[in-house]
Amino acid sequence: MATYIAKRVGQSVLTLFLTITTVFVLLRLAPGDPAAAYAGPNPTTEDLERIRAQFGLDDSILVQYGTFLKGLVTGDLGTSFSFQAPALDVVLERLPYTITLAVSAIVVTALVAIPLGVWMARRADTAKEFGANLLTITGQSMPDFWSGIMLLTVFAVVVPVFPASGFTSWGGLVLPTLTIAILQIALISRMVRREMSTNMAAPYLTVARSRGVGERALTWRYAMTNSAIPVLTALGTRFAAMLNGVVVVEVVFAWPGVGSLVVRALETRDYPLIQATVLVTAALTVLVQLLIDLAYPLLDPRVRLAKTAKQKTAPAVAAPEGALA
Amino acid sequence: MTTTLTPGPATAPAPAERPSAVTPADLKNAGARRRERSARVKLRVGGVCTLLVVLPVLLASVLPLPGPDEQDLAERRLPPLSAGHLFGTDQLGRDLLSRILHGGQTSLMIGLLAIVVSGLIGIALGAAAGFFGGWVDAVVSRLLEAQLSLPLLLMLLLVVALFGPSIPVITAVIAIAQWPEVARLTRSLVLVERGKPYVAAATVLGLRRVSVLTRHVVPNVLPQATLVVLLLLAQAVLLESALSYLGAGPERPFATWGRIISDGQDYITTSWWLVTLPGLFIVLLVVGVNLLGDGLRDRTRRPRGLVRRVLSRKPQEA
Repeated sequence: MATYIAKRVGQSVLTLFLTITTVFVLLRLAPGDPAAAYAGPNPTTEDLERIRAQFGLDDSILVQYGTFLKGLVTGDLGTSFSFQAPALDVVLERLPYTITLAVSAIVVTALVAIPLGVWMARRADTAKEFGANLLTITGQSMPDFWSGIMLLTVFAVVVPVFPASGFTSWGGLVLPTLTIAILQIALISRMVRREMSTNMAAPYLTVARSRGVGERALTWRYAMTNSAIPVLTALGTRFAAMLNGVVVVEVVFAWPGVGSLVVRALETRDYPLIQATVLVTAALTVLVQLLIDLAYPLLDPRVRLAKTAKQKTAPAVAAPEGALA
Repeated sequence: MTTTLTPGPATAPAPAERPSAVTPADLKNAGARRRERSARVKLRVGGVCTLLVVLPVLLASVLPLPGPDEQDLAERRLPPLSAGHLFGTDQLGRDLLSRILHGGQTSLMIGLLAIVVSGLIGIALGAAAGFFGGWVDAVVSRLLEAQLSLPLLLMLLLVVALFGPSIPVITAVIAIAQWPEVARLTRSLVLVERGKPYVAAATVLGLRRVSVLTRHVVPNVLPQATLVVLLLLAQAVLLESALSYLGAGPERPFATWGRIISDGQDYITTSWWLVTLPGLFIVLLVVGVNLLGDGLRDRTRRPRGLVRRVLSRKPQEA
């Protein structure tokens, strides 16, 4: 167990390192001068040079990379160009908002999608299930920015029930959560239905039924426990993806999370801020994925992490379906 | 070869002299028949939805519409059903329907190109990983895993910022985002096929490993892989519109759907159609493609005619 965790943490650190290096290189290759974005209209050449020197942009890429790595070890991710504050602090200040949104969205998704999926599996091939099926297909076919704007128009402009943007009260959480949940419910419930249908047709269920186990127990205690791992993996992967910032939804609702932060940072070419955001969110994502993997043996006693590490990765890799938050 | 094989019970109605407890009504309501019916409904509805979007988009330059970039400041933000403007006009007096259809050409082209690229890469790498195993599998699997832990949309935005929002760049970016899904599926399918006797037989007959893979294994996994690639078209259209919405979409020749929506967002309180109608176009197309994919997967009967030849092609020589 300990060796397994150590190995996984080692892999995660390597992944993070590669990710952040990729971002670093991509950023330095990108056209567009952060100094120009920062200097304001009609800068003089001296202005630009002064700013470049101040941000350390006049060094060669290798020197910049060295400085960056040195900072990484000491937990200093540089100063954000546009906020004039430590980039890490700016990100950490926004992070709670994204986490709040992600948690509420995943909770709503789980609460709706699992019962819905089970219901669809039990009513397989009926007219009702067909109707639910059409609804979920529509749900997964709506672009999230569009459904967000539609919800916003109806519930914040036409009938002003909820605040339109930002996070001023807890009511502001409702519309973004709904927007994310519509898509996720559609995806997860279809997945639950698939898993449950497979398990409900399994021989062990027939045996249990013939021994007189009630339908409710058959569904939840027998079929559901066996569907738990793929379902949990899917939910976890979705949650991890949301921590990367539900970029589009945050932009639509002007939600003060890391997603909208990163879009702004990209526009202003705020290198340290982009790097800090990527590093923090990627670290969180990797952490969540690790926690999911560690939860497998709790759900299924047959799973032994250290020995079957190879097989175990199979569900984790197979899970996402259109996994773009 | 084209004689249809209906599922068992339906072809053999109970002989009159030996009455069966299974009534025709039971047969009609049997799970398989119901599944088949719903698959047929899905295929038809999906086909209609897709055509409703694709046909007008393809005919955009033939239809009697004002040009998508013709501005008329006197006719700004006319509501739908105004004279000469079925969908109304936008903030610069441009015909909304014309803009949607011309933008749709770009969206569709990017989507189609992207799934062709991601399909080819995904099937090739996935099949190689599944069939050869060893270091090939290790490399491909690590790549798949690495991409899963990357903040994908952010990376896509970054790459678009790097190379500029041109159509080839956006196509490539979407293909990069999508190939893992095809590769994963192909790999797992090939892993199953690899153990089947015909592979051993082909090897014994002296075929080279690459030939076994390309001539015998790949044709057997193609139907299912193609289906996933079709479903990815829906994802590609959604992804392209999201990129456009965030300002990383193609601007030339015409603004695509996501861009039209983000431009119209500023006027949502007074001109609802600027956002609603392009969005409905996206939804209609994506629902159509998803239904087609679902229907194809669910149908119990083997497809006939053209679809069958495309989806379940057999290798030419045994």
